[in-house]
Amino acid sequence: MFGVSFLSPLFLVAAVAAAIPILLHLFHRKTEVVIDFPAVRLLKRAPVQQHRRRRLRELILLALRVVALVLLALSFARPYFAGAVAPESAALTVIAVDQSMSLSAPSQIDRARDAALRAVDAAPSSQALALVTFADAATVAVEPTTDRGAVRAAINQIAPQPRGTRYRSALARASELIGARDGRVVMVTDLQQSGWDANDEGGLPDGVDIDIAAVAPPTGNLAVTSAERRDRRVIATVQNYGNAEAKTTVRLVMGGNTLAETDLTIAPLAAADVELTATLPRTGQAEVRLDDRIGYQLDNTRTVSLEPLSATPVAVIVADPTGASGGLYIERALNVAGGGREFRVDVIDGAPLATWAQDDLNRRAVVFVLGTRTLGRAGRELLKTYLAGGGHVFIALGPMVDVGTLADVLGVAVGASADPVRTPGATMVATDGRHPIFRPFLNPSGALGDVQVDQYRRLNDQQGRIVLARFSGGDAALTEQAVGEGRLMIYTSDLDNEWSRFPLNPAFVPFAVETARYLARGEKTGERSAGFEARESNPAATTAEEFTNAIDRTNRTNLIDAGQAARDVEDQQRWWQVGLLIMLGALAGEALIGRRAT
Amino acid sequence: MPGPARYLDPAIIARLGTIDLKARTIVEGFLTGLHRSPYKGFSVEFAEYRQYLPGDDLATLDWKVYARSDKHFVKKYEEETNLTCHLLIDVSASMAYASATVTKLQYGSYLAGALAYLMHRQRDSFGLIAFDESVSALLPASARSGHLRLVLLALERLQIGTRTNVAKPLHDLASAVRKRGMVVLISDLLDDPASVLEGLKHFRYRGTDVIVFHILDPYELQFPFEQAARFRDMETEEEVAAVPGSVREDYQQNMQDLIAFYQRELGLAGIDYCRLETSQPLELGLMSYLMTRRRVL
Repeated sequence: MFGVSFLSPLFLVAAVAAAIPILLHLFHRKTEVVIDFPAVRLLKRAPVQQHRRRRLRELILLALRVVALVLLALSFARPYFAGAVAPESAALTVIAVDQSMSLSAPSQIDRARDAALRAVDAAPSSQALALVTFADAATVAVEPTTDRGAVRAAINQIAPQPRGTRYRSALARASELIGARDGRVVMVTDLQQSGWDANDEGGLPDGVDIDIAAVAPPTGNLAVTSAERRDRRVIATVQNYGNAEAKTTVRLVMGGNTLAETDLTIAPLAAADVELTATLPRTGQAEVRLDDRIGYQLDNTRTVSLEPLSATPVAVIVADPTGASGGLYIERALNVAGGGREFRVDVIDGAPLATWAQDDLNRRAVVFVLGTRTLGRAGRELLKTYLAGGGHVFIALGPMVDVGTLADVLGVAVGASADPVRTPGATMVATDGRHPIFRPFLNPSGALGDVQVDQYRRLNDQQGRIVLARFSGGDAALTEQAVGEGRLMIYTSDLDNEWSRFPLNPAFVPFAVETARYLARGEKTGERSAGFEARESNPAATTAEEFTNAIDRTNRTNLIDAGQAARDVEDQQRWWQVGLLIMLGALAGEALIGRRAT
Repeated sequence: MPGPARYLDPAIIARLGTIDLKARTIVEGFLTGLHRSPYKGFSVEFAEYRQYLPGDDLATLDWKVYARSDKHFVKKYEEETNLTCHLLIDVSASMAYASATVTKLQYGSYLAGALAYLMHRQRDSFGLIAFDESVSALLPASARSGHLRLVLLALERLQIGTRTNVAKPLHDLASAVRKRGMVVLISDLLDDPASVLEGLKHFRYRGTDVIVFHILDPYELQFPFEQAARFRDMETEEEVAAVPGSVREDYQQNMQDLIAFYQRELGLAGIDYCRLETSQPLELGLMSYLMTRRRVL
């Protein structure tokens, strides 16, 4: 229901002044003279209704004066209609509903809507409700209101979106809505584990309870995680996220016609490449589709561009003015990909990088940084701008990297130790084997475990940094994080055969190629972005307890001013101006009528 | 108001002591002024001759006697005693109204007392009837020497009554009066004019002469109030809220219409009508009485 709230309710006390004209009126009435008169019978024949008219006029004057005073007080109290924003004092229940891609399994979104509707019914009638829908970004679908009908209607409109999951964005939005008042959050979600991976911030204020309405994920899921054209073929990768072997049919569809089709059996938690051969036009788009009756539906299709691919430009920055060996291994590894046509690799020393224009660097889909010691100030600035502007940088913290200037190179503090950790023979283990970079190592599994490293730099734990692989001692080996608009991957050892023999390992070439492909993803492969990352297809879920424990708690004093939303609404409505205008009108009317009465 | 005439001022009369003194003062003052008026010597008749003394008015010399006897004699007169007069005074609540110091009842009682004194001097027989809805005091007409005192005492003790019903006492009295005479009605006439008129006509049907003294307070005529007020009827206690400025003109017109009605209708009925304001000298009342008396006699 709509209600009126006030930004400065203390001014309403001034409305008591409205009693002044009323008291004066009553006092005047009490002191009205009574005159004993003998010829009242003659007076009655006179038009005494004049007096009644005057009384009416006095009442109108009284009403106008009272209205003027009340409006003055109301205007100073800054009223606003809380149809969009519930009264600030009202306790608030925020219902946050997950509508990410991982809610697209059959009947899953229906269960999510039912859970949200139950939360509406369970909320005390005295509390305001707000609805937040979220995927990789959170949206306030219904501002705090007491109108249950509006909330229910909005819930019924929720549909899964082809987006990833970011719980923290939803929590941050809920926190803003709750502000300083009493509040509660009902999180309707599938508790997908990957929802915590994104590099963002957000938590709940102290004292705000959270209830989890879990929507069970599917027992398995098949997803087309990549697709690209290679000559007359389309190579698609299908991932089985389930714990059971899965069979499916993969089709290549263009303009409603099935161009190719193949049946596929995939082992549990494994990926498989599918070759779909057909006579393909030189231009246009095709879709790779698979059948998945139990898993997410929005990851069953992937669009692939049929345009001929051009080589992906990659730069390798080294600290080797002689050009003898710096970047040799990574260059060789990338040059074998795609029959030597997939990547065009330029190896450059840090010093001459300063002569490049920013556009020269920006054209590179991926920049591998293996040494920074020869980078000048201009070169560092080029790299920093490239990364912040959306570039993809892979840096190996080998001996040729000057840790002290890393912040200048990357625009972000990496938190790496200056001295390497010496652990001869340390092996590397993927923490998330389903990450696209480790896709070649899943089947056969264990190939990455043969990599041995003698030295590496230790990284501090940082929020927003995802550890993709660790060394056997537990330290991070490979991490990924967002920097500005770009993405940064940090390998904490060396790729030039100085601190490890990884470049000599058979796993190095697929690792380098998949890393370059992953970072260049969507830009040069002809594959259109699906709107969500591959991990969104992974139905692995946390428990409600784990979910609750993962929520960062924030101090209420650090919150955005809770009244800001109300102030914004009041500022938009500006009823105080209307009140003052009416008050002026009332005063003008009072003056006019009062003048005629005298 | 120079000379003895100042004693006809109701405000001054009110400050005098007993009604007896008031009546005497009024009448003596009136008669003193009357010597200079064209009404000199009227209403009295010859009693005896007396030898002229220096200072006597030459107009009183009897020239016929002087012609016969060659002596100067002046005529002496004495008042008549052949008129019966009933003083009817309204004591209803509305007569208690006073915008200044003198209420309409006080003014009426002064007038009645003066008339009684005058009648006594003229050896007329007179009585007093006080009434509101009914007769509250009655002194039958008499010319005895002590009667004046009784009348004045009765006037002194008049109490304000309740509502006016002029018609009823008039009808009752008209039926009771058998001897032809004169009726003096002292009232504010704030009653149904038609009923009042019918009652007074009743006297005329029986051959009784009537003089009506319509006593009004100046405020009743002018309605000079300024502040909005509730006006409470002194008899019915009915209240009417009014803004004087808005209703004054209509009220004054209503009052003038009422006065005009009485003047016209009473005149047509052969009844003398004299409107008196409580601020006016009582001389006007006495003069009206004497005019009526002369016509009656």
